[in-house]
Amino acid sequence: MTLTDLMTILPLAVLVAWTTALLLVDLWIPKDRKGITALLAAFGLALTLGLSLARGQQPRQAFGGMVVVDGFAVFLDVIFLASGLASIALAHDYLKRMNIVRGEYYSLLLYAISGMMLMTYAYDLIIVFLALELLSIPLYILSGFVRLNLRSEEAALKYFLLGTFSSGLVLYGIALIFAATARTDLPGILAAVELAPANLTMFLVGGALLLVGFSFKGAIVPFHEWAPDVYQGAPSSVTAFMSVGAKAAGFAALMRVFVVAFPSLSTDLTPVLWGLAAVTMVFGNIVALAQTNLKRLLAYSSIAQSGYLMMAFVPYGQGIVLSDTIAAMLFFLVGYALTTLGAWAVVIAVEKAEGRGLELQDYAGLGRKYPLLGAAMTVFMLSFIGAPPTLGFWGKFYLFRTAVEGGFTSLALLGLVASIFSAYYYLRVVVMMFMRPGEPEARRDPWLVLTAGVSALAVVGFSLVPGSLLNLALQAVLKLL
Amino acid sequence: MIALLFSGILLSILFPLLNRHRARLSYLLLLVYPLLVSLYLIRRVNMDNPIAASLPWVPSLEISLSFRLDGLSLIFSLLISAIGFLILVYAGEYLRGYPLTGRFFSFLTLFMTSMLGLVWADNLITLFVFWELTSITSYLLIGYDHEDQQARKAALQALLITAGGGLALLAGLVLMGQAAGTFEISQINQKGQLIRESNLYPLILLAIFAGAFTKSAQFPFHFWLPGAMAAPTPVSAYLHSATMVKAGIYLLARLYPALAGTEAWQYTLLGVGLITFLAGSLLALPQTDLKKILAYSTVAALGLLVMLLGIGSGLAVKTAVVYLFAHSLYKGGLFLVAGGVDHAVHTRQVDQLGGLGKAMPLTAFGAALCGLSAIGFIPTLGFVAKELVYELILAFPQGALLTALAVLAFTALTAVSGWVFALPFWQKNRQKPLQAHENSSPLWGPPALLGMAGILLAVFIPQTGSSLIGPAVESILSSPQPVTLKLWHGLTPMFVLSLFTILAGALVYTVRIPFQRAIGGLHARLSAIGPQRLFDLGLEGLKKFAVLQTRILQNGYLRIYLITIILTTVALTGINILKSPGGLDLPAWQPPRFYDVVLAGVVLAAVLAVVSASSRLATVAILGLIGFTIALIYLLFGAPDLAMVQFAIETLAVILFILVIYRLPKFARITSRPARMLDILVALSGGALVTLLVLWITSRPFTSHLTPYFVENSLPLAKGRNVVNVILVDFRALDTLGEISVLAIAAIGVFALVELNLDKSLFPSQRALINKVRSMILPTAVRYLMPLLLIFSVFLLLRGHNEVGGGFVGGLVAASALMLYAIAVSPQALLRLLPASPRHLIGLGLLVALASGALGIFQGLPYMTGLWLSDPLPVFGKIGSPVLFDVGVFIAVIGVSLHILIALAEDGES
Repeated sequence: MTLTDLMTILPLAVLVAWTTALLLVDLWIPKDRKGITALLAAFGLALTLGLSLARGQQPRQAFGGMVVVDGFAVFLDVIFLASGLASIALAHDYLKRMNIVRGEYYSLLLYAISGMMLMTYAYDLIIVFLALELLSIPLYILSGFVRLNLRSEEAALKYFLLGTFSSGLVLYGIALIFAATARTDLPGILAAVELAPANLTMFLVGGALLLVGFSFKGAIVPFHEWAPDVYQGAPSSVTAFMSVGAKAAGFAALMRVFVVAFPSLSTDLTPVLWGLAAVTMVFGNIVALAQTNLKRLLAYSSIAQSGYLMMAFVPYGQGIVLSDTIAAMLFFLVGYALTTLGAWAVVIAVEKAEGRGLELQDYAGLGRKYPLLGAAMTVFMLSFIGAPPTLGFWGKFYLFRTAVEGGFTSLALLGLVASIFSAYYYLRVVVMMFMRPGEPEARRDPWLVLTAGVSALAVVGFSLVPGSLLNLALQAVLKLL
Repeated sequence: MIALLFSGILLSILFPLLNRHRARLSYLLLLVYPLLVSLYLIRRVNMDNPIAASLPWVPSLEISLSFRLDGLSLIFSLLISAIGFLILVYAGEYLRGYPLTGRFFSFLTLFMTSMLGLVWADNLITLFVFWELTSITSYLLIGYDHEDQQARKAALQALLITAGGGLALLAGLVLMGQAAGTFEISQINQKGQLIRESNLYPLILLAIFAGAFTKSAQFPFHFWLPGAMAAPTPVSAYLHSATMVKAGIYLLARLYPALAGTEAWQYTLLGVGLITFLAGSLLALPQTDLKKILAYSTVAALGLLVMLLGIGSGLAVKTAVVYLFAHSLYKGGLFLVAGGVDHAVHTRQVDQLGGLGKAMPLTAFGAALCGLSAIGFIPTLGFVAKELVYELILAFPQGALLTALAVLAFTALTAVSGWVFALPFWQKNRQKPLQAHENSSPLWGPPALLGMAGILLAVFIPQTGSSLIGPAVESILSSPQPVTLKLWHGLTPMFVLSLFTILAGALVYTVRIPFQRAIGGLHARLSAIGPQRLFDLGLEGLKKFAVLQTRILQNGYLRIYLITIILTTVALTGINILKSPGGLDLPAWQPPRFYDVVLAGVVLAAVLAVVSASSRLATVAILGLIGFTIALIYLLFGAPDLAMVQFAIETLAVILFILVIYRLPKFARITSRPARMLDILVALSGGALVTLLVLWITSRPFTSHLTPYFVENSLPLAKGRNVVNVILVDFRALDTLGEISVLAIAAIGVFALVELNLDKSLFPSQRALINKVRSMILPTAVRYLMPLLLIFSVFLLLRGHNEVGGGFVGGLVAASALMLYAIAVSPQALLRLLPASPRHLIGLGLLVALASGALGIFQGLPYMTGLWLSDPLPVFGKIGSPVLFDVGVFIAVIGVSLHILIALAEDGES
């Protein structure tokens, strides 16, 4: 490891060092002053964010080509870091209320973010796996953070068991690919396949196993079943982070590995990807219709949103559409992250101890009593549906356009029909908030209101001038290729 | 144009703020806006060329904020701004004293601006954005806080149908852009041929129809409109008759050059329009609420418009434009009249109304003006429109049936219009007389003005035709259409039909009550299979399906989740393997060696035992057995390092497992026999796949370019003969560093979880276990055994670089020794024995490992470069930074293991 190597991954290195230091420092912070830990964690994230942004988008490799830091990585890192900051804001008051204040919460969160960042840097399957574990293990623990709450424990255990199982599949996939190509670095795999000493079937099966593993993280049907249970059981502030971070990381791995190393698998995998996208969109949206618990509702909604992402990924092997595919997914993820975090901020504001305050009825009259929260939630629901003027609209529009451009019109239409169903359950929340009389109680925690407000403003504001954000996504892609 | 739109949006945002301080002034400012727009538009009447303006918006997606004002947009935007002004005036009075009027006016202005943007847009996506904005603002205007469950349901329904239609429209617009290669409407309209011949055309048409039909309340989506009548009356007047519901019509007219002219277009629109026309007019008959009556008659009018656009001749389009213009004026006016009546006597039920003409002469006057246009009495715009409809239908090839149907529908419409504009004022009140007084001028003025406009435009019909209707028709058909309109054609068949309609309508008007009963009964019977019912049933069905699915797949059982994942994976990989041309080239069968058979047999037997064991302790022990057997396999295949680590890990894992498992109950059999059979099958399929893959991988002649490198360079570069250890502490030291960090996180995570908010009384004490194993022999033996084991572990650590061993194994052995001590004596005793707490040990280990790598930096070498002392030391042998690194690993592993142990042991202690 040289200094250049270190400088290349400086943001990540700083974050890891900061987190480790935080873990130690936290020992001396008294239990009733854990706000300091939160503040320090937020500062670490902000510092990393600054370093990431200052790095520029010039792609650089390090550690003998094991990692690469480019526009793609920086773009996603900004999403991860900003989500991390938001979820600290969500957690601060929530942990106190739920009586689960522990300094480790913040360290684990930061470690998970380190894993996600590493995932975006990964240029070698070994690093991909390492990152996958680094981001997963803290999340397993965090989902079980409400100890002695059976749901939370069950969530953690389920997530852990299924997660390790799918990690095992990823490992198998890596082994098969290594057996087929004798390489683990992504460009090396590509070269090995092109020069054709590789066993292509073995390569394909390896790719399929990786797809399974990444789909698990991204909550793609039929590897999604953990999501509703874990989303419901985990503390809401963790769920909020997980539904953005883990998903984006899963898709980051999918994009990086498949686009760089597996373009040749595209033809063979198209029916599989098509099927996964279709089932995920239809299934996620239809099942969400029956949900009355907000956490589960948002879980299925996030599954459906994964389906839309997957839909744009189907034509990833077509050279002309590729840059649109990646840009559309990155762009969509920004809107998704803002919308999701904002929606969870509202959910957390309404949630009470012991899993109360999460049913749809608990939102009756919310719009009347807390107009700001109600308005923000309406914005988020509209953004999830994909209605203007929200960022969700542009994101979905771009995804659908990409799918149509890639020649998958029927898939796009299927997704659209599915998202028509989605209008029902999203709008039901809005109707409940504004048209049903009720006396809900919500927290007036400034951090929650700030998160919800800033997200809502950003969701609407960016939708009025989506151009600049889109250009960033497009540039991020150019640097990838 | 763009500036006008922006100022409208700005005004709607700022209004609530202004309203708080300067209510009067801000309201006047609000009124100025539609006036300004109207003035702007009036000056554009008779313009020669369309006005266009454009701003770049999302250049990378080829989307711009482009607007274009042509004849069609002009007529729509005139209606929007002029009626909008009157509505604002009206609502200012109507809503006096209501809460939140500031917000209401702000939304109304936003809606108006969105409508203007919608009809001015020259880009499909811009159009769509404004289209959705009108849906959203309309929802905001329909109102808050409906106590009435029915009203809530209706509002949700209206929202759902328009939102769903909006999404479908988006699909259509995207596909259309794809087919035409551009999103600019004026360019698309020049490429009609291209689009109609594209194979996407049917889909485009379907999606755009879905959007237009839902917005314009066409059958079978018509039921949301009457349902939305819970809205305040000014909103109904504006949105549900004059503007928003016409957006679908506008869309069809706008895209006419691109889409029209095919049979699909003609028949669909003709069919749907006709059904809607008939259904709307007949369904209006049994209604008794003034607003419901108006809503259904609006549905009928919208159906007629769609039908006319479907016929699509020059005459039909001209008729459509005239009818649309006339309808917006009189229907808006009638809604306002209904609102005025409601405002004065607080009821809208036809049965309770009557005799208001004397008390409310001015309202009655306005009602009469609008009503004359509604029934098509000369000289009104409604009359002109109806004449044109009859002229068109009479000229139709199979006109007889159509004429009969049209007469029927118009008769119904005439009658119901009468119930709205005449009955409340001039019919004798059968029930108790109503206390009424005339409303103030903002309430009776607007409908009177709208009615007068209908008459004026009809009186000056040639001018209306040439400067308003003509240009609109021209821009729909995108070819020059000289439009000449006359009020009086003489005693034509059309006039006779028109007169007949009015007379028949008057007849129905007078026999209202028996008529309403008859139709109402029929309606009630039909609604069992009506679209509203189907919609509800469909929604219920979907929800039931969702619940069913949740019960089957998402039932919370981990077992089902695992089965799903395994089966999908097996299917996914299995299909790919089967599809592969070469098939599997598995290695040739070799007779197994004796040891292979024994070890495999042990593993298999152990697996069976694990599956059937009912005690957790036994399970853990057998799992340990499997681990040891696998270690033996490693040993057999010449990997002593691996075997050693496996041994140590297994030991440790069993100890930890037992600490955890002790408190758990016995396994319960919760699955039935068939379920277990399924599990076995799934397990076998998963196992078969994995076996196959392993065989397959090993069958490939594999030449690694790494192995030779490490073997050759281990001694010269890293001064070590144990290649495995050298890889760990030197070649890939960074990875190892990462791994021990992850271990540390895991340990701290376990600690955090175990320690968290524990209600310690809930669990049986861990001490119980520790006390149980307390015998005389163990503690005594441990006292001698532990130091020996510790020394052995250091020995393993130090020889690791050259011989079998290493920091990792050493650490595990040491940890096992210490754990043994903890179990034999007590965890507290162990803690006292240790120089530092486990957590500090972890930190120390990580620090040592980190620091050892940093040594190289001082020499100007890369981080983690191995540095070696030139001479070997007496006991330790050759010393270098990798050895130091290994020491770090050693300490960290001890720390991690003990940290977890202490967490679990202390769990039940204090």
